[in-house]
Amino acid sequence: MNVVNDARVRLASVGYLNARPLIEGLDREPASARFQLDCSIPAEVARRVAEDEADVALMPVAAAAAIGDLRMVRGCAIGAGGPVRSVDIVGERPIEELEEVAIDLSSRTSVVLARLVLRARRGGKEPRLVGMPPREAIRHVGGARGALVIGDAALEIEQRFPYLLDLGQAWKELTGLPFVFAAWCGRPGALTADDEAVLSRAKAAGLKRRAAIAAEHAERSGLPVASLWAYLEEAIRYDFGDEERRGLQRFYDDAAAAGLLPRAQVRFYDEDRRAPAPLPALDTLLARAADGERLSAAEGERLGAEASLFDLGLAADAVRRRKHPDGVVTYIVDRNVNYTNVCTTSCRFCAFYRPLGHAEAYVLSREELGKKLQEVVDAGGVQILLQGGLHPELRIEWYEDLFRWMKREYHLGLHALSPEEILHIARLEGLTVPAVLERLHAAGLDSVPGGGAEILVDRVRRTIAKAKCTSDEWLGVMRAAHHMGLRSSATMMYGTVDTPADRILHLLKIRELQDETGGFTAFFCWDFQHERGTRIEAGDHGTMLYLRQQALGRLMLDNVSHVGASWVTQGPEVGQVALRFGADDFGSVMFEENVVSSAGTTFCMNAQGMETRIRAAGFKATRRNVHYDWLTPPA
Amino acid sequence: MTLDAIRDKVERGERLTYDDGVTLFRHPDVVAVGLLANQVREKLHGDRAYFNRNMRIEVTNVCVASCLFCSFAKLEEGSPGAHTMKHEEAWRELEARMDDPPSEVHIVNGLHPGLPFSYYEELLRGFKRIKADIHMKCFTAVEIHFFAQHYGMTHREVLERLRTAGLDSLPGGGAEIFHPEVRTRISHDKATADEYLAVHKVAHELGIRTNATMLYGHIETFEHRVDHLLRLRALQDETRGLQAFIPLAFHPDGNGMRNLPAPTAIDALRTVAVSRLLLDNVSHLKAYWVSMTPEVAQIALRFGADDVDGTIVHETIYRAAGSRSPSGLTVESLVRLIQEAGRVPVERDTLYNVVREHPRATLPEAALKVRDRKASRHLEVVS
Repeated sequence: MNVVNDARVRLASVGYLNARPLIEGLDREPASARFQLDCSIPAEVARRVAEDEADVALMPVAAAAAIGDLRMVRGCAIGAGGPVRSVDIVGERPIEELEEVAIDLSSRTSVVLARLVLRARRGGKEPRLVGMPPREAIRHVGGARGALVIGDAALEIEQRFPYLLDLGQAWKELTGLPFVFAAWCGRPGALTADDEAVLSRAKAAGLKRRAAIAAEHAERSGLPVASLWAYLEEAIRYDFGDEERRGLQRFYDDAAAAGLLPRAQVRFYDEDRRAPAPLPALDTLLARAADGERLSAAEGERLGAEASLFDLGLAADAVRRRKHPDGVVTYIVDRNVNYTNVCTTSCRFCAFYRPLGHAEAYVLSREELGKKLQEVVDAGGVQILLQGGLHPELRIEWYEDLFRWMKREYHLGLHALSPEEILHIARLEGLTVPAVLERLHAAGLDSVPGGGAEILVDRVRRTIAKAKCTSDEWLGVMRAAHHMGLRSSATMMYGTVDTPADRILHLLKIRELQDETGGFTAFFCWDFQHERGTRIEAGDHGTMLYLRQQALGRLMLDNVSHVGASWVTQGPEVGQVALRFGADDFGSVMFEENVVSSAGTTFCMNAQGMETRIRAAGFKATRRNVHYDWLTPPA
Repeated sequence: MTLDAIRDKVERGERLTYDDGVTLFRHPDVVAVGLLANQVREKLHGDRAYFNRNMRIEVTNVCVASCLFCSFAKLEEGSPGAHTMKHEEAWRELEARMDDPPSEVHIVNGLHPGLPFSYYEELLRGFKRIKADIHMKCFTAVEIHFFAQHYGMTHREVLERLRTAGLDSLPGGGAEIFHPEVRTRISHDKATADEYLAVHKVAHELGIRTNATMLYGHIETFEHRVDHLLRLRALQDETRGLQAFIPLAFHPDGNGMRNLPAPTAIDALRTVAVSRLLLDNVSHLKAYWVSMTPEVAQIALRFGADDVDGTIVHETIYRAAGSRSPSGLTVESLVRLIQEAGRVPVERDTLYNVVREHPRATLPEAALKVRDRKASRHLEVVS
C-alpha cells in the first residue's frame, strides 16, 4: 500500500525498556509531524499492522513472518550479538536435562528461538512445553521443570537459579551470528527514504539517552540502575546491518524448516526502492502449501486471490491426504439443542433470538429437553450440542443443575456453550472465565463449541454484532478452556462485511492460539445465511467461494487436525464435493424435530445418506465422538 | 491405463478408448479428472458459459410407456393427475410471456395414444403464429419414433411434416442408457437404442440439429455409461448433427426405482468430466441445473461443462421425481450463477449463436464478496 506523502505514517511499537532508545523522540517535533506513534504489547502491535491500523511497527520478528511480505528498516533493530540477559531458560538442573519448560507463549519470537536452541542442543528432541504467565512460570521451576523467562522478569532473576541458558548467547554459539528480536516492519512502500532517515536520527538520539532511560526504568522497576544501563549499552545491539540480517535470515530459515514459522525473506525498504521485490511463482507457493508448509497471511491472501479453484482444491486435498492417509471421513450423530432463544446481544445477522418477555421467547423445560435427549439416545447418538442465547436471568447454578441432570439421566457427551455464553455467565456472576469453566466442567461440560467466532477481526465484529465479545475475549475463553483440558472446535462465518484479508487474519489467529494450546479439534466455515432455512434463489449461494474458503482453511491451519464440510449450510451436494476440497469430516447428522418424532426412519436415512455420500466421494465412513475417535469400523 | 497416460493422450489430442473411459469413471480423485476435463473445456470455449431464455412445456403426461425411472407419466387419460393441454392452454404459456419472450420453447411429452398427429402440427403452428421467430425444440427421438409407429409413417416423414409445421430442432431426452442390459429393464416398451440413434441420424440428414442425453445413477454400471457415450460419439462422427450432450441424474422419488439412492454431486461432476473427455466431437456439454441443482451446476462449469441450459420457467418432470431445484430461474440469476463460477455468461439461441455476452464478474472468482449480494439486504455495508 502506498502512503500518500503528506499523510502521517501510523507507527506502532512495543513499549518495553529495550525499545525505548529507538522510539524516544518520535512523538515529539519534528518527527511527530510525520509519524503518529502508539505503544502497546507485542501481539497488539502486530495485530495493528495485520489489520491495517498501523503502517509500520517495531514488532517481534516472528510476528512479521506470520504476516508475511513486510519490509524492514535497515540500521534499526533490537538484537544481541552475545548474551542478551533478558531471554533465558532457567532451571535447577542443566538445561539439557529438563523434561518440562514453562513458557510465556505470548512471546512467539523467544519461544521459537528457545525451541530451535533446545532442539539443537538436545539432538533434535524438545522438552515438554507448557504455556503459563511469566511469574507463574518462575514459580514452576524445580527438579526437571524449567522456565523460559523474558524481559524484566529475566533481569530480576539473573542470579536466582543454578542453571541459566542465555538465548542470545546460545544462538551466537549455535550459528556464529547475532540475533534480531524486533525490527521496524511494515507494508511495502509505507516509508520513504526520508522517513527512514528520521527513524535513524531518532535511534542516534535515543542511544545517547540510554543512561537516562535506564535511570527512569530503575525507578519504576526497582532494578539496579547500573545493571539496566549495562543491559542497554552492552547486551542489546541496535544495529541491523548485513551480519544481523544473516542472523535473522538464518532464524527464519531454521524456523520454517522446523515448521514453526512461515518461510520468510528479510527485505529492506531501501532494496524496494532500487528494484521491485521478486514475487515467487504461484506454482511454487501452491507446491509449498500442498507440502504442508506453514503459510504467512500474505501468502494465504495471494492464494485466495490468484489460485484457481482446482489449485486450492488439489493442494487442500493433498494436505488432507497426508494428515489422514487412511481415506476415512468421519461424521457424528449428535443433536443441536437450543435451550433458549432469549438473547440480549441482538446481532444483526441473527434471525433466531427473541428479547426477554417476547411472545415467542422460550426456555426449554426439563420435560421438553428430556424428550429430545431421549430421541438422541434412541437413535444411537453420542452427544448434545447445547447452545442458546445470552439469557439475562439464567444463573450459573441453573446451568450446573441442568448439566448434572443431563449427565445423570442420559450419559451423552456435552458439547455446550459458546465462548459468548461463557463470557456472559462470567459477567453475570462476577466470576472469571476460568472459574466459570471450572464449575461447568465439574458439572459435566465436556467440550466447547466454536460458534460465535464469526470473523475474529474487531472491525468486522463491531459492525455485525456490536454487543458481542471482542476477538481477544473469544480467543481468551478458548485459551482458558484448552488449558483446562477441554477441547473445542473453531469456526468462521464469512460473507458479511469481511474482506479476503480479514478471513486470512481470522485463520492466523486460530493458528496462533492452536500453537499455544493445541486445543482445537477441527475447523468449520460457512457463509452468512441471510434467511434461516431459505435458500431460494440460485446463484445466491457462493458455492465457489465456500469451496475456496474451506480449502484455504485447510492450507492455513497446518496445526489443526480436522476440517469439516458444512453441509448444513451448503446443502448435501456441495457438502459432499467439499470432501474433495480438504475436508475429512462431514459434520453432524441432522435431527429434524417434527420428522424424527413422527417417523423413526428419518435418522437412519440421514446417517445412511451421509455414509452414501462419503463413500460416493471415494472415502470410507465412520462415526466419531467430539474427540474424533472412531466409534465404528470405517466402511 | 493411468490418469497420467490419459492426460498425455488428451494433451496430444488423441481419442480416448472405452478402457480410458472406464478408468476415468473409476478414478478416485474426481478433482484431478475434473481438472483434465476443464482443460479441454477451456480449449474449446475459453471462459464462456452459455445459457438461453427458454421455457419448458409438457403438453401431456399421458404415456403408453412404463419406464421405471419416471415419476411424471400417468398411464391413461382420465387417471388421477393425468392431463393433456388444449392447444390454447399451451399457447397461453408463451402469450403470457410475450413482454419478455423466450427464444426457445422446449416441449417434451408422454407417448399419448389418443391424439391425432394434427394435434402436434397445429400445436407447433400456433406457437409460430404467436412469435414467428420462436425456436421450437420439440419431441424427443422416442416421441418421433412413437409417432412413426403410431401414425404409420417413416421417421423421415414424421420429421418432415413436423418441420413444415414449425419444428426447429429435437431435444435430447429419451436416451436413458442405450445398453440393452439396462434399457430392457428400465424402459422396455419404447424406442430402442438403435431406434433412438436412427431418428437422430435422419434428423441430422434433414438438417435438424439435436441434443443427446444420458440418464445415469440408477442400475447402470460405469461400463454402460462409457458404452452409451461411445455410441453417441460414433453417431456424431457420421453426422456432426449433435449440438450438446446433457447428462441427467436419476431422481428416485415416486417412481419404480424409488428404493435406489439418488446419484450424488460427486457422481454428477465425474459424469460431466468424463463425458467432456470422451465426447471429443460434441461441442457443448450442458450442466442441466434442474438435474444437478444450481450450486453443483456452478461447480460443473469448472469440471467440463460450458452450458447451464436456460431459464426453463416451469419444469415439472424432475420436480415430480423429488428434485429440490427451483422450477425456473431468471436471466439475472443465471448470469450471476455463471459469474460466481468465474465464467463469462453468454446468452445464446438454441443453435448457439451469441445473443449477448454479459460482462465477467467485476471481481475475479476469487475475490467475489458475498457481502455485495447478501449482506446489503440486512446490513449497512461499511466501506
